[in-house]
Amino acid sequence: MSRILIVEDDERIRSSMRLALEEEGYTVDGVGSGEEAVARFATEPYELVLIDLMLPGIDGFEACRALRRTSTVPVIMVTARSDTHDVVAGLEAGADDYVTKPFVAKELAARIRALLRRSRHEGEDAAVLSFGDVEIEPDAGVVRRAGAEVHCTRTEFRLLCELANHPGKVLSREQLLERVWGYDYFGDGRLVDVHVRRLRTKVEPDPASPRFILTVRGMGYKLAV
Amino acid sequence: MATAVPDATSTGDPAPGSTRHRRSPGGGSRLSSRLGLRARVTVTFAIGALGLSTLMAGITYFTARQTFLNERQSAEQRQAFANAALVQNALRSPITQVNQLIESVDTLPGSRSVLRTGGQWYATSISVGQSAIPAGERALVLAGTPASQLFTLAGSPQEVIGVPLPAVHAAYFEVFSLDELAGTLRALAVALAAAALVTTVAGAAVGRWAASRALRPLAGLTDAAVAIAGGQLDTRVDSGDDADLEELAAAFNAMTANLQDRIEREARFTSDVSHELRSPLTTLTATVAVLESHRDQLAPRAQSALDLLDGDLQRFTRMVDDLLEISRFDAGSAELSLDEVDPVELVRRAVAASAPVDDEGVRGPVPFPVEVGAGVEGLRLQVDKRRFERVMANLVENAAVYAGGVTRVLVERRPVSVTYAPLPATSILVVVEDHGPGIPPGERDHLFERFYRGGRAGQRASSRGTGLGLSLVAEHVRLHGGRVWSEDAPGGGTRFVVELPLHPADDGDTGDEAVDAGGTPGAGVPA
Repeated sequence: MSRILIVEDDERIRSSMRLALEEEGYTVDGVGSGEEAVARFATEPYELVLIDLMLPGIDGFEACRALRRTSTVPVIMVTARSDTHDVVAGLEAGADDYVTKPFVAKELAARIRALLRRSRHEGEDAAVLSFGDVEIEPDAGVVRRAGAEVHCTRTEFRLLCELANHPGKVLSREQLLERVWGYDYFGDGRLVDVHVRRLRTKVEPDPASPRFILTVRGMGYKLAV
Repeated sequence: MATAVPDATSTGDPAPGSTRHRRSPGGGSRLSSRLGLRARVTVTFAIGALGLSTLMAGITYFTARQTFLNERQSAEQRQAFANAALVQNALRSPITQVNQLIESVDTLPGSRSVLRTGGQWYATSISVGQSAIPAGERALVLAGTPASQLFTLAGSPQEVIGVPLPAVHAAYFEVFSLDELAGTLRALAVALAAAALVTTVAGAAVGRWAASRALRPLAGLTDAAVAIAGGQLDTRVDSGDDADLEELAAAFNAMTANLQDRIEREARFTSDVSHELRSPLTTLTATVAVLESHRDQLAPRAQSALDLLDGDLQRFTRMVDDLLEISRFDAGSAELSLDEVDPVELVRRAVAASAPVDDEGVRGPVPFPVEVGAGVEGLRLQVDKRRFERVMANLVENAAVYAGGVTRVLVERRPVSVTYAPLPATSILVVVEDHGPGIPPGERDHLFERFYRGGRAGQRASSRGTGLGLSLVAEHVRLHGGRVWSEDAPGGGTRFVVELPLHPADDGDTGDEAVDAGGTPGAGVPA
């Protein structure tokens, strides 16, 4: 029974989301502000966090960054807007995925399942992967760069494994969306772009001119060999 | 300047002249209002230069003519009187041979002497004799009065000066040809006319230059107005440091700012309303989902009520989404997120995504074929996939609601691929056909208007239509630089055609849209 934390200031939305997610078999707690969320998260283990972007006090972006400082827990942003600015800002704050209000409960449940599933199934690719001075242990979920451990979120880790498993091969954004997030053809390519950007800051010597995770214009991304 | 022409007609006749008409310079004249301001200023300058230079040339000509003539006449008079004195002295001596005498008189080149003495006429030239001298002049001089007269002889100007010599009962005439003077004056006239012409042309040129220069800020204003009409509401004009233009520029900028403010306020209002509606919609959607999962426990009447609630909740959600989308277009904040894709795969995926979902959330099969025209395979299209998916979904839904469903979807290229004259493809056509009752030509233009239902109003009983579907199709396609239209399908029904350019002028900001030269097959030229 996975525990989910909902951070949403509108009490009615919080209640209805809790009802709907409990219907899907999750244990759900709700808090009304970013401060409460950070405090609650520090004391209780949650397997996934849903954060509304517009919160009183510290907003969703800041709450997400605060969680990210201590945890790699999957985070889904709940936004009222699908504008580029909010989505990209949310993803850059560390969110793994986003849903736009009003979302269909079944779709939200599917997104949650996708994020939880892959956080449990990271041990598929047993062999140690490596490129440059980066080493990936898929079993242990550990990434090391020059011997030092790099903290990746689970989505970043999964994305890195996907690229490292196909060195030199171009993976389109659609392929990555499907394999890492479980989206179909019409998934939001910005998810991939922002995660690649975040990943580069962790494994590239110079993120501005990447040597390993390359953009193939008009095609997708590939890991240079 | 251009306003110099007083407007005589419209002042006495206020009825037909609108304010604008009366205010226009020389507004009474139809010609002047048809000519542009620049042309009018040019013509005015040219006419002014012509008048002025003609006046100056005339004054110059007549002054010069008078001066030349006076000088010439006084020289001629001096000579004529000197010669007359000579002749008189000679005639006093009885032995003088008159013929020799008249030959010996010292004359200017082109002047001829005529002498009457002893009732006889003598002349130095055969052509210029007694008969050449005007009768009045002859009579006057023979009566004892010295006189001079200008006249024309065989087409050339002459002056005759007659001196009576009463002491010897004679009269001496000298006829001077003014050909040389006339020639000089002719040359002068030609030179002055040429100068007037040059001045006129120069005046026109200066007028044109001045008008262009004066109108240059107007060109800036025009550019700004065009930009604003094109949706760039943040366009402003710069008056430079010209005090005359400052007021106009300030008024223009104030107007634009007002306009922008109003449009943004309206768009923001729609956007805000849509956003506000999302919160209760989220609660409703989530709670209806809970009810749906307990459907079995509900009485049949409650189940029917739940179905109605669910259906209209979805429609309401769609409407709010569509309104929000429309408000982004209205605010000019809609952004393209371009991906480079295979158009055939794109269409197949979009069509598959438009298939209805069953109760378990599984997509059904697509009930119509997707046909691919020649030369489409291998092309790459830059497209915002999400928007294209909406376009296809809306067209498929439109056909389902109004025309019994789509019968086929075609993917074609333009220009059509022909093996004997391979032209690179410039655009992709996606054609959605149905076998419905068709659309009267008069209604076609309105199809893409918001909430337009036209003659089909009776069919709105669908739980899906929002009335914004086709207008959003048009907006999405326009954002791609493409076009959408409807026409009769062969064999009855309607076909909606979406044309998307292969190379949109405005690349999006994804940074991933550029063509990878090595990776994409050449731009669709059939092998």
